[in-house]
Amino acid sequence: MSLKLQPKKWPGKIREVTLGAGNRQPRTVGGGNGLPLHTFEADFPHRPVLALEVTDINPPRWLDIVREPWEGLLGKPADAARKAAEQYGADLIMLNLMGTHPDRGGRSPDQAAIDVEAVLDAVRVPLIVKGPGAGAKQNDVLARVAEKYHGEGLVLHSACQEDYKTLAAVTVAYGHVLVSESPIDLNIAKQVDILLSDVNINLDRVLIDPLTGGLGYGLEYTYSVMERIRLAALGGDQMLNSPMICLVGEEVWKVKEVKVSERQEPRWGDQETRGINWEVATAWSLIEAGAEVVVLRHPDSLARVRKILDAWFAEGASNNTR
Amino acid sequence: MSRIIATAAIRGAHACVARAEKMLSETEERHGRDKAIGFEATAYALPVTLALLGKRVMRLGDLDEVLQEIRRWLPPIPDSDIWLPYLGGALDAGAATLIAHETVEALKPLNGHDLVYDYWLGPTADGILREQGIKLVDGRMPGFAACVGALPDDETAERLARDLQEKNILVFMGSNTNGETMAGQLHRRGVDMNWETFLVPYGPDTSSIIHALGFACRAAMTFGGLHPGGLKEARDILMYNKRRVFAFVLALGDVDDEKYATAAGAINFGFPVIADTDIPQILPTGICTYEHVVSNVPYKEMPSRAIEVRGLKITSLDIPIPVRHGPAFEGERVRKEDLAIEFGSKYTRAYEYLKSRRMDEVEDERIRVIGPEIGDVKEAAQLPLAIFVEVAGRKMQVDFESILERHIHSFLSEPMGVMHLGQRDTVWLRISKKARDAGFRIEHLGVMLLHKLKNDFPAIVDKVQVTLFTNKEDVDQLYDEAVAAYRRRDERMGAMTDESVDVFYSCALCQSYAPNHVCIITPQRLGLCGAYNWLDGKAAHEINPHGGNQPVAKKELLDPVKGKWKGINEFLEVATNGQFQSFSAYSMIDDPMTSCGCFECVACVLPGTGGIMVVDREYRGNTPVGMNFSSLAEITGGGQQTPGFVGIGTLYVLSKKFITGDGGLPRLVWTTTNIKQRLGEKLRQRCAEMGLPDLFDKIADETVCTDLEPLIEHLAAVNHPALGMGEMI
Repeated sequence: MSLKLQPKKWPGKIREVTLGAGNRQPRTVGGGNGLPLHTFEADFPHRPVLALEVTDINPPRWLDIVREPWEGLLGKPADAARKAAEQYGADLIMLNLMGTHPDRGGRSPDQAAIDVEAVLDAVRVPLIVKGPGAGAKQNDVLARVAEKYHGEGLVLHSACQEDYKTLAAVTVAYGHVLVSESPIDLNIAKQVDILLSDVNINLDRVLIDPLTGGLGYGLEYTYSVMERIRLAALGGDQMLNSPMICLVGEEVWKVKEVKVSERQEPRWGDQETRGINWEVATAWSLIEAGAEVVVLRHPDSLARVRKILDAWFAEGASNNTR
Repeated sequence: MSRIIATAAIRGAHACVARAEKMLSETEERHGRDKAIGFEATAYALPVTLALLGKRVMRLGDLDEVLQEIRRWLPPIPDSDIWLPYLGGALDAGAATLIAHETVEALKPLNGHDLVYDYWLGPTADGILREQGIKLVDGRMPGFAACVGALPDDETAERLARDLQEKNILVFMGSNTNGETMAGQLHRRGVDMNWETFLVPYGPDTSSIIHALGFACRAAMTFGGLHPGGLKEARDILMYNKRRVFAFVLALGDVDDEKYATAAGAINFGFPVIADTDIPQILPTGICTYEHVVSNVPYKEMPSRAIEVRGLKITSLDIPIPVRHGPAFEGERVRKEDLAIEFGSKYTRAYEYLKSRRMDEVEDERIRVIGPEIGDVKEAAQLPLAIFVEVAGRKMQVDFESILERHIHSFLSEPMGVMHLGQRDTVWLRISKKARDAGFRIEHLGVMLLHKLKNDFPAIVDKVQVTLFTNKEDVDQLYDEAVAAYRRRDERMGAMTDESVDVFYSCALCQSYAPNHVCIITPQRLGLCGAYNWLDGKAAHEINPHGGNQPVAKKELLDPVKGKWKGINEFLEVATNGQFQSFSAYSMIDDPMTSCGCFECVACVLPGTGGIMVVDREYRGNTPVGMNFSSLAEITGGGQQTPGFVGIGTLYVLSKKFITGDGGLPRLVWTTTNIKQRLGEKLRQRCAEMGLPDLFDKIADETVCTDLEPLIEHLAAVNHPALGMGEMI
């Protein structure tokens, strides 16, 4: 007797969101009509995409092991972005404007715009621009960038429940994509999307960032929230069916298990291998939960996640029985 | 709509359109129909015309069609025989006036009249719109005031401008009163007028006010992503303005027909008119959020009255008190040795009482200390205290009093060096020496409450006034009223039944933890966490209509005994993603409500007793089913329907609907001493009401036994009614 597969059909599907426009080579994510990676029973017109993070200043807290692949390029976002796209194979770049934070030098919106322009000139892949965190400064910085590079389909990171109106307005006015952030909370994720659509944002221009911790630091909590968001989306919830983005690198490279050297903990083994493993394990778990834009720091992690994705989505892969 | 206003507005509109037509034909004669026309530095042509007609006017000839169109909008001027509704006609006339104004303004430069001269700034460039318009849309700038006309004197003009500036409101100025202009008045006072100072003079003619509306239209098209086209698109742009651009018209001085017509145009945007003169009022709501025309307002009150009528909310980011504050200081204790002053506990009478008032009964931001201040008494003194908070709001309801009042505890716990315990008349409040030395006074308790209430509850709180009584006489005098209010509220909640309301409230706040869980909160069954009763759900929905608490219409009653309604079940199916189709409000056996993980207590069937037990979260020991609370919680929680197990709020035990579908309170055979103590007298009363005055003492607790066998023996010995009720499952 042979096993008859009963593919699960869902009433809803994930929205397609196109990242990058104008001079960018656009990348579309979303569009799937089944649970993440269920290639055996659902259609996925687009694969998850992988981004590498570059920074406007030399990031003070990055570990040596993750600085090494960026030797000489940290704080030179254009050069780092070029290397990320051309050599490391990033689908897109996340420019972290951490230097605009008042505690990290407080670079001005104009300086931030110069950095963005340099990266836009250096690469053709879509660009995620991350501000210094919710508040007046982030709004000033991202609003300036959004206005100046209108039509480039930038992904602005991020708007939250308490502070979304400025970024929503510039997203609408200048044709960008907005990340809606919620603190590992399904209701708030939904609420932010409702609020955004209420101020006339087309939700085909929104990504959800459910926020996450690294492996061992609350990842499972995010996992179930994402799972829940996906189930709601597939069940037909139009306010939760945006594709999800996860900032993996910044969470992973600060956990104790990655920071401690082999000399301190010989049994934990080589620190670099361990760090990359940690980033890959976190990233892949989140992809299984439904992340479709994954931001990483170490190029080797990207290569490894890419390899798994390629195998998974390859024509005739064993999981792809349809 | 007032007949006088409608007639004047329609008459004014006819005059404005006629003037525009005349000016156009003269200009065409001089320049030809091909002459380019438009305002400088904008990509929106004539923005109001573009927004309302979807037409991009580029050349003089384009205006022919525009004016022909708006002439069709003009209703006949009502004569003394017509007493029919005027609103629609007047609004159309107003819209026509706006386009006529824009035409006139656009034609001026071709007729040798510059729009920019002296201190007049003329139309706003797109660059400024991008920088400033976004502030209107995202709320950094709460709104704009279009000031039409002039004030009686220069000094009053400056005071009004400063009052508006202080509230961050953008001030547009245009038109004149008998030749005098507000901008001219400010100019004579040496006031800086430009986009940096938020004081923007458009022009001395009434038609120049159109630039304020052009600004609003462009904000909607740019930041609202709205594209002009036909009537529907025009409506969207107007609605966007009503909902997002908090503007109002201040009509200063005599109002002539042209100004009436312009005001009617502004009402299309949902911008109400506040007048200083005694013009007829239009109070009913309809197009605007609240009133349309409010008149006879003194200059001093104009900003606050306008803010109220437009429904504008201004929140303050910095609370002006001399100590740090925030949730981080909430748990802080002030010890006896650090004590500067103390109120309440067993030493003095101290209570807090929040009362809802009519809008005109509350003087916003007024804080008074009546009696000694902190510096008037010796160190560690004990004073009586009445915290009397009077709140007014367009959407405030008496039912929300207790909800706001309950927040006083967390608000007053937030300042560093202030300890607040208890609620109502069980307050214990201490202020530390350190806080006092930093300048903290009793008055600052009021400052804290004022700002927190307005910031945290903008949807329902518009005005707050706080009085802090610290003398025994006043404290005692108000006390009776406060106690009567507490009692009235309790009775109101107590008297409310599930039958007396049409909607229940859902609570999905825990879906992050328990994916398919949803609570249905009824007047007689509070949320299982104990934190949300029906009124809380109602208020939470009012405060945040997109939040986790939604009204759910009961619709048809399916089962009066178990508590099932058609509307609830329909809602449930959607809210639980199809997981559940039916809930019983009053049964823990048949389709019980699901439980997240936050329940105060677990109710669980005890086989062999015909009854149930109720165990609270604090209880650490074993129970007659052989499980402690955490094992029980595991079976009960997670958003599953587990017949025989249900999470409940402690107070549900006292409800007249407590598991009535399964037999009610007589089923309760075992509980914890914690719960017995907490419910105490009230539970005894409830038993007595049911005709079972000795039931309370028959209910076992952990001091009687923690095993099933001895429990059954005990029940038999005391003749507990559950034994005779038969097994529940």
